[in-house]
Amino acid sequence: MDVEREPFDRKLSRKEMLRLAGFAAGVTVVAGPAAACGAAAKHASTTTAKETGQLRVLDWAGYCNDMPHHATYTEYLRKYPENKPQYTFMTNESDALGKIRGGLKVDLFRPYVGWVEYFATSGLVEPWTTSLISNFKQLNPFMIKAGQYQGKQYGIPDDWGFDAVLYRSDKVKPTAESWGLIFDERYAGKIAWFDDLEMITIAGMHLGATDPWNQTSAEQDKSRSFLISKKHLARTFWSSETDLWQSFGSGDIWIAYAWPNDWVQMKAKGLPVVYMHPSVGKEKPIAWVGMFMLLKETPRPKAAHAYVDAWSAKKSAVWLENNYGYGHANTEARPTSSDLLNALQLTNPHAVGLPNAYLDRNIDQRATYARLWEEVKAA
Amino acid sequence: MGRGEGGLTLDATAPEAAAPARRRRRRFDLTTPALLAPPVSWLAVFFLAPVVYVALYSFNVLALPPQATGFSVSAWHALIHGGVYLSLFWKSVQMSLLVSALVVVVAYPLAYFLALSGTPRKYILLLLLIAPFLTSYLLRVLAWKVILGDHGVINTFLSWVGLRSAEHPLSFLLYSRFAVMLVLGYVWLPFVALPIFVTLESLDRKLLEAASDLYASRLQAFVRVTLPLSMSGVVAAFLFVFIPTVGEFVTPTLVGGTSGYMYGNQIHDLFNSGFPDWQIGATLSLFLLGVVAALTLVFIRFLRVGEARAA
Amino acid sequence: MDVALSPSGRRVIRVFFGLVLVFLYAPIVLLLLFSFNRASVPAFPLSGFTLRWYEDFLHNGEMRAALETSAIVAVLSSVIAVVLGILASLALTRRPFRGKGLVTALLLTPLVIPLIVLGISLLLLFHQFGIQLSILTVAVGHVVISVPYTILVLLPRLAQIDRALAEAAYDLGAGPWQTFRWVTLPLILPAIVSAFLIAFTTSYDEYAVASFLIGARETFPIYLYSQLRFPDKLPQVIAVAVLVLLLSIFVIVAAEVWRRRAEARLEAPA
Repeated sequence: MDVEREPFDRKLSRKEMLRLAGFAAGVTVVAGPAAACGAAAKHASTTTAKETGQLRVLDWAGYCNDMPHHATYTEYLRKYPENKPQYTFMTNESDALGKIRGGLKVDLFRPYVGWVEYFATSGLVEPWTTSLISNFKQLNPFMIKAGQYQGKQYGIPDDWGFDAVLYRSDKVKPTAESWGLIFDERYAGKIAWFDDLEMITIAGMHLGATDPWNQTSAEQDKSRSFLISKKHLARTFWSSETDLWQSFGSGDIWIAYAWPNDWVQMKAKGLPVVYMHPSVGKEKPIAWVGMFMLLKETPRPKAAHAYVDAWSAKKSAVWLENNYGYGHANTEARPTSSDLLNALQLTNPHAVGLPNAYLDRNIDQRATYARLWEEVKAA
Repeated sequence: MGRGEGGLTLDATAPEAAAPARRRRRRFDLTTPALLAPPVSWLAVFFLAPVVYVALYSFNVLALPPQATGFSVSAWHALIHGGVYLSLFWKSVQMSLLVSALVVVVAYPLAYFLALSGTPRKYILLLLLIAPFLTSYLLRVLAWKVILGDHGVINTFLSWVGLRSAEHPLSFLLYSRFAVMLVLGYVWLPFVALPIFVTLESLDRKLLEAASDLYASRLQAFVRVTLPLSMSGVVAAFLFVFIPTVGEFVTPTLVGGTSGYMYGNQIHDLFNSGFPDWQIGATLSLFLLGVVAALTLVFIRFLRVGEARAA
Repeated sequence: MDVALSPSGRRVIRVFFGLVLVFLYAPIVLLLLFSFNRASVPAFPLSGFTLRWYEDFLHNGEMRAALETSAIVAVLSSVIAVVLGILASLALTRRPFRGKGLVTALLLTPLVIPLIVLGISLLLLFHQFGIQLSILTVAVGHVVISVPYTILVLLPRLAQIDRALAEAAYDLGAGPWQTFRWVTLPLILPAIVSAFLIAFTTSYDEYAVASFLIGARETFPIYLYSQLRFPDKLPQVIAVAVLVLLLSIFVIVAAEVWRRRAEARLEAPA
């Protein structure tokens, strides 16, 4: 990647990079750079005696290795200088699931907390050996618990943040601090939803379902019909953050389902934006925590653990927080900006739980929700 | 096959050349299957066999773990009775029909001009017409994305020139059904002219001259002679656009927004990027293939009948 | 008098033809324009001339890797497609045989199959046999797509060739391979080149099927697609897009012109 970019550009890419690299130790894979990354490391040998081959990581969109500092996993590179990870790109956990089931071989990946139970019971992953992760004790115990299933540590928490509503304060006047803003008739064509079955959960929450993550058939039908009736208000369903930044930044979109990083990005572009946490009635933002998960029978468990360890390190965490607008599970990491500290409540170990937010959790009927979402898109 | 074929038959029947002809004939008989074996087997393995697998997945004889295998028509049931997939299919068919019809209508005069006007540069013009089709599909779609956006070429041009304010761009241009149809039409137009051109070129000019000798006007000659005789080309052209566009998913993803979601997108999501459901995805694919195959057969039948009548 | 078109009809259609050509090439020309534009967002008004995006592209290792990968896939699939096309065309220009219509239909059907169905069906096949997705799997898919095109170019040319030439060779004692190598092949060489180029450009630009069959290494269209979501990458992408587009158009047009000239020259002595 070219080095002489504008500072603004570099910051943007670092943020993307942050997104990728930061939280999930393993999974950030970028298809594009994979060729370059792959070519580079193919002839490398690892430093451990038994493990061979390049570490393969499946992670969210962005770039691998194009930043010379590899800030989120520098310690990994210190231990395995010749084994730069090879990345593959996932658009979301459903996509990762499809890829892994379809035969993609990776060593680790990074779904979010709501999927821990699903993957833990899928037979695709195995628990981590936490004794091999030196930074484990610095991680937020609440989040550690969230990464466990039946007492075993299936997920190592990394980044965390919220799903909430981002809007332009100069163009939009919400009537309430509610998810209803992304369903607001006044702003037809200026709204962006997230392209994921999570929209069913959000619709359920907005409509007052008892448990949005486990809606009854009747509630599911209501959510689906509601979304279909409101679909015409949404200009796009975004699936990668850069899509959102492009539309939001160019003024095509004024209201969006968004993550804290998107708020940071839009502020950096100079737009007057507000990141609104819904709080009407039982509504709250949904909190998420990235969870590194280890694929079963990976031939490189030591490298994988080292990678996760590097990601969990305080330095990585601080870098992430400073550049990405997300929190990190490492409790000793504090961003240099106190605004960010306050905005994310980084000193509050329970920021991702009640009463602040609903921590994303398992959806028992995930396949049904997926189908409902597809029906919304098809309608 | 003209002279060559005649020569062969002659050799085969001439008794004086019996011995060498018999040797030659045997060699030819062996070589035809030998020649056909590689291409046919490649397509059998990588084209026909995969379709069988699609069918197997759609009936759940094979399944993506953790789904248990076992013959089941539940996916077909969902398709036929669910209502959602069929209405999406119908929506896509409508869009494709419109695009195909428009494109054929636009391409016909172009092919007519090239074939029948006797212009000396006809091949170079034909080439210029077709060349864009042979260049990158994605890049041409990208070009339109750049042109149609709220802050794209058209809208910034309009506001620069003062015809519209920058605050009120034409929003329907991008992320809409209109965008999908415009781009699909743009992509396929060059390709469509070719079959029509080929049929028109092989048209016997003498028929038209005969028509004018019989005091038919040009319009009458066109309607009664040219058009019917070029029907096979028109139908072929229509199919060449219609069939690929029904299953389109790339253009709708890039420029379709929420309302430009097509049947192909649904299939794509079930394999890539959405929660995987290979059973439904295979069923939807097989359904599409079935409809396409049926349509093609119907049109070929119609063509044969038309040709027989015209001859 | 012209039985097909009146003089005014001619003028109208000529204008219409011109307009259509403008419509077809305008987006390409616009891309060309914006590839030299200083602003990083393609919009009016233009903000100044720069070659920066072309320079950036030259330093972009990922993009070059993708271009290379696409070239490898394209060469591989085109060579195979042309060979299969030659074999099929040779067989189909012989004496009619039983099942010829069926075979022809099979060989040409990939033209009309929706690419998504082709992509998915191959994905399922490879998955079933545990074949890892890679550039080879993409190449396999591209061969299927390209074979009809190669046949459509080679078949008419083969049918055109005077059979008496091959007959003469046999009479002189040449075997089938020798006849092919020394008589048929030189005569169809321009068509072979044409077929290769068509298969090459088809494969190089193909996205839909590749998106299902691609492994870790990206082809250029896959890379391009992934870059479309990065607004700061857009100008570079446009720059290379323009280069690839113009190159393909030039290659296609030049190749066709050359082919016609070469074939005319080959026919001349007869």
